[in-house]
Formats: sequence, structure tokens, C-alpha cells
Amino acid sequence: MSADGLERVLRIVEVACAAAMRAGAEFVDAAAEHGETRSVAVEKNAIKSSDARRWGAVSVRAFSRGATGWSSASGLSEETARQAGEQAAGLARAAEPDPDFVDLVGPADYAAVPGLFDPRLAEVAGPQIADWITQNIDAARGVAADAVMSGGANVRWRQWALANNLGVRASQASTSGSLFVEVVVRRGDDVGSFYEWDAGRSLSDLAPEDLGAKAAEEALRYLKSRVVKTATLPVVLGPRAGLSLLTGLCGAASAEEVQRNRSFLIGRLGKQVASEHVTLVDDPLIPRGLGSGVCDGDGFPHRRVTLVERGVLKTYLHNHYTARKGNAENTGHSTRGGISATNVIPSLGTKTAAEIIAEVNDGIYITLGRLAPDTASGQISAMVDAGFRIEKGELTYPLKNTMVAGHGLELLANIDAISSDYRAEPGMVLPTVQVQGVRVAGGG
Amino acid sequence: MDLGGMRRQLERLRGLAFKCKVEFAEMRFAASRSSSLMLQDGRADRMGAGERAGLGVRVVAAGAWGFASSESAAFDDWAACLDLAVDMAKVSAQRLAEPVVLADTTPIVDEVHAAYDLDPSEVPLERKLAAVRGYEEASACRACDHVANVMTAYSDARQVEMVCNTRGTLVSSESVRTMIWHAITTQNGSVRQRASERRARQSGFELVEGTPGSEFSAKAAARAVSLLSAQPAPAGKFPAIFHPSIAGLLVHEAIGHNTEGDLVLTGQSILEGKLGTQVAAECISIVDDSTIPGSWGSYAYDSEGVAGQKRVLVDEGVLKGFLHSLETAAKMGVTPNGSARADGFLHRPIVRMSNTMILPGENSLEELMQDIDLGILLRGGQWGYVQSEKGQYTCHAGEGVMIRDGELAEQVRDVSISGMTLDTLANALGVSRDFELEMPGNCGKNGQSMPVNGGGPYIKVKEVVVGGQA
Repeated sequence: MSADGLERVLRIVEVACAAAMRAGAEFVDAAAEHGETRSVAVEKNAIKSSDARRWGAVSVRAFSRGATGWSSASGLSEETARQAGEQAAGLARAAEPDPDFVDLVGPADYAAVPGLFDPRLAEVAGPQIADWITQNIDAARGVAADAVMSGGANVRWRQWALANNLGVRASQASTSGSLFVEVVVRRGDDVGSFYEWDAGRSLSDLAPEDLGAKAAEEALRYLKSRVVKTATLPVVLGPRAGLSLLTGLCGAASAEEVQRNRSFLIGRLGKQVASEHVTLVDDPLIPRGLGSGVCDGDGFPHRRVTLVERGVLKTYLHNHYTARKGNAENTGHSTRGGISATNVIPSLGTKTAAEIIAEVNDGIYITLGRLAPDTASGQISAMVDAGFRIEKGELTYPLKNTMVAGHGLELLANIDAISSDYRAEPGMVLPTVQVQGVRVAGGG
Repeated sequence: MDLGGMRRQLERLRGLAFKCKVEFAEMRFAASRSSSLMLQDGRADRMGAGERAGLGVRVVAAGAWGFASSESAAFDDWAACLDLAVDMAKVSAQRLAEPVVLADTTPIVDEVHAAYDLDPSEVPLERKLAAVRGYEEASACRACDHVANVMTAYSDARQVEMVCNTRGTLVSSESVRTMIWHAITTQNGSVRQRASERRARQSGFELVEGTPGSEFSAKAAARAVSLLSAQPAPAGKFPAIFHPSIAGLLVHEAIGHNTEGDLVLTGQSILEGKLGTQVAAECISIVDDSTIPGSWGSYAYDSEGVAGQKRVLVDEGVLKGFLHSLETAAKMGVTPNGSARADGFLHRPIVRMSNTMILPGENSLEELMQDIDLGILLRGGQWGYVQSEKGQYTCHAGEGVMIRDGELAEQVRDVSISGMTLDTLANALGVSRDFELEMPGNCGKNGQSMPVNGGGPYIKVKEVVVGGQA
């Protein structure tokens, strides 16, 4: 990674903006980035391939009478940037006016977000990445001699810059590393499997040696899975499944979805959308957070925002355009073309996960499942990717071919406990969540 | 883009690869140019265009794979990319199960051009806009007072992939893809429902000219309106009939991924060790065919330069074969069948599906339904995924219709199903003569997204789990 890389991408976005304005755009912003990813893929307990990917790209949004012209191109040359700027301006002129467009974000000071770039992680080379992932193979086979592990590890650095014609100049260097392992164990036709992951922006946040053994231990627990009878039951969502339900709300809370009249949260601002146990804060300024950054995709300074407080929806997620259109406060959630939350942190409860499970007489535990509701209808109809039966406070047997369903608002309203202990990842808090009265479909 | 120049540069790079003394090198240049427009709330206020081009180099050195990519067009950067790929192969050699062996292939030198009638890049913007506006009007007219939001998108893309390897292959494949998509959200009080339609083919603008709104956006509108008064689906196990769009999801998610040679060899497929055995009822025959003219998932050559072809996967319930790359074919001792595809220059080729389908039978839909006392017809296939190692899949249907006493009864909404692949296949009770191959979409695997298509007849299965609320 070159030391002058950030200056280079800043120069590219300035060239693109200038070209678009010369070509007749009324407003323009441009983003550019370059970086490199080094990855090692493992299949069946051996390295499959080691890859090095280098990329560079520029994208330009030009505006004319509110209409948007987008142009993107790979490569980071000034000539490419000029062409993209001119093309975006031409497309904006050809598109139809949008009377809701007012302007772009103006310049602002950005808070420093510590820990987004770790020079030690940026320097991690292929052999070390290979060591990370291969030591997990040994660990997995130490747990089960017949364990078959697949997965991969990668390290990435990225330099990014954004500029607009009103004077916004933002840039950021970041690093990230991640590991993913999936372990499969077989006993005849019976299959147990599980996956684990770890991710971080700094070397100190990665614990790359722990995953293989954990995944193997879990895979063994999922042997001899059974079907549960169709019933309405209490459901305990493990950390990963729980977060999918809680953050699933954020998709429907996008102001774009609300203003376009396709969200089940329309008319719910200031109203109860979940039980009093649910408080959600989105904080993009968490040091070393996986979703952290200095500003959103429009160049608006990032800030901490309370989304849900004791079950009440406090704000929709806005970018600059929807905030202007809705005469609302910008929450800084632009992804430059879309809207998304960053680091969603739920408030914790008083019982431990073990205590929550111990109090369930007859229910199911979902370890993995995608429980985000449909943004328009609010409905959830999801497969239990991995889970257990709970009987008399104990996890008794793993489940197969089981589904859960309900309206997102019902499930959120029926949350009656969020655990005090949680899985922690950089910028993430993943507690256990209990939901009462969920329709569970299986056999019978 | 000077494609002739890129071709000559690839040949020059191949010369360098020979000097590197690698066992195998494959250099792929991939370029794409796309345009798009979006009509929403009556305004086409967003138009876009994009260009991407670059090189991906894959080598086998010291018995191991290495891969590197670059978005540069400069030859010096390409040479550095080759060196980096060799370095990465040394990393792979750290933990190698066995040296990489690739199946023998005959070198191919060829150049394939895209087939279309109306070059999208020469169609005036006004004509594209008029067509898209017509789709919106057809939809809004059908949904009347229930319209909450309509979105209509148009896009076209021209792609070129050149594959050059040290075995003497140098093929260039061009494709032109055109896609239209319409989504409508309807509303009745606090109830909102959404339906969408997509048409996507390897075609020029003639796809749009040949698609009237009545057969496209108005169909989505009619479905989104009728779903407003539909009841939630029941929960539990039911006899089911899958519409061809659900059959398309099922064959892709539940079966197709399990036939990918790389997953079979790495213990991630439930079909490992089952070649030549009965894995489905006799009414089930499955093929993956990348030679269907105009289909979204078709291609002349895969990303290893092997010709695309029709592959019989299951014949009358018996597992006949898998999808292969050069490497998986060598490991299983079979001939490569052109199933290795890469998502642009940033990724190496991996085993992928193309157009995957269950073949039609002799029954009518009415015959399939006649002995079902209480069951469900699922249609409007939307999305799905599979845990291939366990053989557990899920598919989301846009709508369902209850079957009572052999007849279609009330409509139900918000319905996903799950099943165990081998149980579902073994419990297939019949397939219809009606057939559709109309599930064009992009399939994700290992971070790569590839255009595929899926389809089939109506399929009757003994039972599936319906994730309903009633």
C-alpha cells in the first residue's frame, strides 16, 4: 500500500467532479477507492487456492434538475475519472427531473474514528493467512478425527475518498480481516455441520486459532437431528439469529422505503414497534467497529442515533435526500444510492442466556436462521438453519426441516427477554433473545 | 476497448507464463459495459452506466493453485499480476492435500459473437423510456386504487471474456444481456403486499419489444392485488404441487448445488458416493444445459475455455453425473463438461450451474391435483437457499393456493417451504407436461454472482413443511 494512496484517490474524485461540472451538471459527487485483498481458501482440510485481488474504481453521481446520472468505471486513471464525470452529467441531463431533490451535503468536520486502519494487519502476507486457516484444520480434527473443514481467510486494505461540488472532501484508509470455517461430520447418512466466523479491523481483534475446534464441537452436537411437531411455542434466538430479527427492523425503517410507501413501518414513528425490552442504538463511531466510518456515503458526518427506545420507533433511517424530502433530521445512513444501518447495538437485559433457556419448559432454540421480516408486508417465514428442541429448560435434540413464521411486529412485540451476556464482535453486540408464541412448523 | 490489442497482449503474457515454468497458466481478460434506467413514481429520474475491465491470472505451480487480478490494461501490470499469481501458488503449497491435476483438453481457438436483433446501445433512450413507461401504466391500470408504489427497471450489458491458457486455448466469448424488472407494492388499509416480474435473456432490445405489459407488469399487479385479500398460509406438513417457477428454485437450490463437482469432492454434497444410484422418483429427470439459445444462463465457452454443453444429471431418478471443472473432472476420471465459470476478472473459475431444469412428463395439472384432499399449490417463486451438506433447503413462494378435494380453492400468502432434498426427490409423485424455463437470476457462491436460469414442469410431492401462521 503506497503512502500517497489517499492523495491519489482524492485527486481522482476531484477530477471527476470537475469534469461533470464542466459538462453541465448542477451538483455532483464522486467516490473512488482502491485496495487489495489476499485470501486463502480451504476445501476438505487442504488449501484450495491463494488469491490476491487488486482493484480500483470510481463512481460519479451527477444531478441536473434533480435527475440523477450515475457512471462507474474500473481503474483509477484521471482519464477514466474525467470520462465518468462527463458521462454522468450527460445521463443526468437525459433523465427526468426530480422536484424532491434540493441539494447535496455541505462540508463538515468529521470526528476521528480510532482503529479503522491497522498497519500490522495491512502487512499480513499470504503465508500468515494460510497459517491462520490451516491451524484450524488441525484443531477441528483434534475434536473429531473425521471432521471435514472448508472455509477461508482474508485480509484487505482499502483507501477511499469522496468529494462533491459543495466542498465535501472525505477520505479514509481501512483494514479488515476475516475467517470463515465450516465443519462437517458424518456418521453414515447422518450429517452434523456448523460454521463459525471471526472478523476485525485490527490484528488484535482477530482470534483466528479458535474457530475450527468450536465449529467441530458444534457440528457434533447437530448429529441425530429430528423433526418437531407443528405448534405455537416460545422461541429462544441465539446471538446470531437474534441479531437478524432485531436488525431486520432497520430495512423497513429506511426512509426511502417509507417515503416510497412500501414499508410496514409507515405511520409507526413514535409508536410501539417492539416490546419494552428492545432498545436499539446505531453507532458508526465505535472504535474498530466493522460498520464504523467517518461519514456516510453522502459525506454527512457519522453520529450515534437511537433507533428504538423501549420498543418505540424514534426515527427512520435517513440520507440527505430523504431528510430534505421529508423535512426530517439527517441520520447519516446513506450508502450512496441506498440506506443502511451501521453498528446496531441492542440494550441488554438482566438474565443470562442460560437462565432464559432454563425457564423454557417446551420450546425451540434457533442458533442460525434468517428472521428479517419482508420490508413491505412485515411477514417472516424462515427455515431454522440450525437449532435445538428445548424441554424442561434443557437443549435436548437438534432440529431438522423446521420453520418459524409470524408478522415481524408480532414477534418483536412478543420479545420478553434479552440476555445480559452476549457474543461480542468489533462494533457488534449479539445477545440471546426470547420470543413468546411463535408458530413453529415441522411434522404432524 | 481495443479487443484485438487485448488478445495480442494475452498471447504475449502466455509467452511469459511459459518462461515461468509453471505447470499451467490461464489468463482471462474480462470486460463489461452496461446501462440502466429506473422508473419510479412516474419519473425516470435515475439513469446509469458502467464499465469494468481487467485481468485474472490463475496458475498451477509446485502442484498448487495461485490467483491474482488487476484492473489495469498495461502489459507491465499484467506481467506483475502473473508473478503475483505464482507467489500465491507458493502460499497454497504450504498445505496441499495432493498436487493439482487437470483433465486433458484439446486446445480451442475461437471467437464467439453475441446474437441479437436490436443492439441495445443503438436504441435511442426515448424508445427505452417509452417501453418502460408502458409497463408502469399497464401495472398501475391493473392495480387501480391499491397501488402503493411501482418500480420498473431496465438494464442491458455487453460482456466479453477472453480465456487464454498454456495448453494453447484462446477463446473469446461475447454476450449481450437485456433485463426488465417490475415490482409493485399494493395496499389495503395496513396490509401491504408486493409482487414482481422479471424477464431476462441473452438478447438485444427485441426482448422488450416482444414483451407486452399485459404479459409482464400487469401480471405482477394482478398478483399483488389478489394477495391483499389472501389469508396467511397454514403451518405444517402438506401434500404440495410446485409451479414451474418453484420447480426452478427447487432444482437449483435443492439439487443443482449438490451436483457441483467441487462440493461433491469436498464432502459438502449429499450426493457424494451416490453416482449411479436411485436418488429420486422415476418421474424426475434433471439436466443442466448451457447451450439453450438466448437463455440467461447460457454460454458458448466456460471460463476455462471448455465448450458449454447439455449435462444429464439425473435420468429417471438415477444420478448420472455432476458438473465439472478441469480439476474436478480429473479427480473423478471423467471428461470436463464446461461448468467452470468466473464472475469477471476478480475471481477464479469455480463449478457453477447454467440453465438447470427438471424435464416435463405426461400429466396435466388437473391430473396431479385430483387425489389431493388437502394440499397446497405453490407459485411465484422468489428466492431460496440450501445447506448442501445436510440436504436441507428452503424456497420462498410469492403465493399459494390451497387444494381441497382435488380442486384449487382459496389463495394464501407469505409462504416459504423447507424440505430435505432426498426426501422431496424420492417423494415426487408426478410431473406435468406443461413446462417453463423462466427463472432467470443471479446465483451466489463463494462471493461470486453468475447468471443462471431454472425451470421445470408442475411437480407433485407427497409432503413439504410449510412455514405458515395459521
